[in-house]
Amino acid sequence: MSTLNLSEDQQDCLQELINVAMGQASDQLARYLDTFIHLKVPSIEQVDAGSLSDSLNDEKMAVAVVSQGFFGYEGIRGEALLIYQPKDSDRLGDLLGYEPEELSVEEQIIDLSSILTTTFLNVFAGQIDNQMSYSAPRLLSSTKSLVSEHLHQLSFNWDLALKVKITYQVTDYSFNCDMILLIPESAIINIKTVLDRIVDET
Amino acid sequence: MNLSVLVCDDSNLARKQVLRCLPEQLSAKTQIATNGEEALEILRSQKVDILFLDLTMPVLDGVGVLQALKDENINIAVFVISADIQPEMQSKVLELGAKAFLRKPVKTEVLNEQLTKHGFL
Repeated sequence: MSTLNLSEDQQDCLQELINVAMGQASDQLARYLDTFIHLKVPSIEQVDAGSLSDSLNDEKMAVAVVSQGFFGYEGIRGEALLIYQPKDSDRLGDLLGYEPEELSVEEQIIDLSSILTTTFLNVFAGQIDNQMSYSAPRLLSSTKSLVSEHLHQLSFNWDLALKVKITYQVTDYSFNCDMILLIPESAIINIKTVLDRIVDET
Repeated sequence: MNLSVLVCDDSNLARKQVLRCLPEQLSAKTQIATNGEEALEILRSQKVDILFLDLTMPVLDGVGVLQALKDENINIAVFVISADIQPEMQSKVLELGAKAFLRKPVKTEVLNEQLTKHGFL
């Protein structure tokens, strides 16, 4: 199997950039929901097309998946998935405090996802002197096949990708939201150059 | 003044960022730890003046370290340097005895300002 070959320094640097972005995204989420978000160390792993499909299988219980593409300069791009577990969706409606008729739960989930994704990626991009634009967020149904199908419709080659998983644990509400960033191999090559520059400068 | 400084962060990059921000006039002896448990081992066995502490770490996180220092009556000036900038987290670490909360990535001016404020410069 070919490999993305992130060096130890590159992996460490990427993790720290993600930490800073995750911290600010969770701060936004905490303010929005008026609660506290418990953060864990994010996981970064390399996946091939097969294991990407398998790892999405882990999420088959999800009640909702919101997918949003991101595009920066220098070929840095990918797809962000926000994954909500079942029976949390009603809670989510409560959390957001909208009147039921005002916005559907689906619309609320899309709103929340977009706040998290864009805050995270804007902070991430700012640290690497980049700037992101975004596609419109799309609510996918929960089933794995639909998520896989959606990913394959994107114009990425998923033979090899970097998968970053961040869990936002909302402490007061036993509610979890996983953010999964999928970055295709072509974009990783560009990110590695940027990481090397940061490591050299520090 | 010969101070002893410990930088505790699971990220090598973040540790380097902190070390690079330390002013020369501090002329400190520096050590590193890559998680909270490692930091506690050092702090239990030797005198350290300043601890720069990350929060989100494997094995034992920063809040765990602050709690242990409090429980074990280990007196040390702790400056938390974290990406977890939620107001509730900031007040929590200050309640647990940290001198200050500094957001990541740490800036030289901010670090110097805090070191001055707490009498180390």
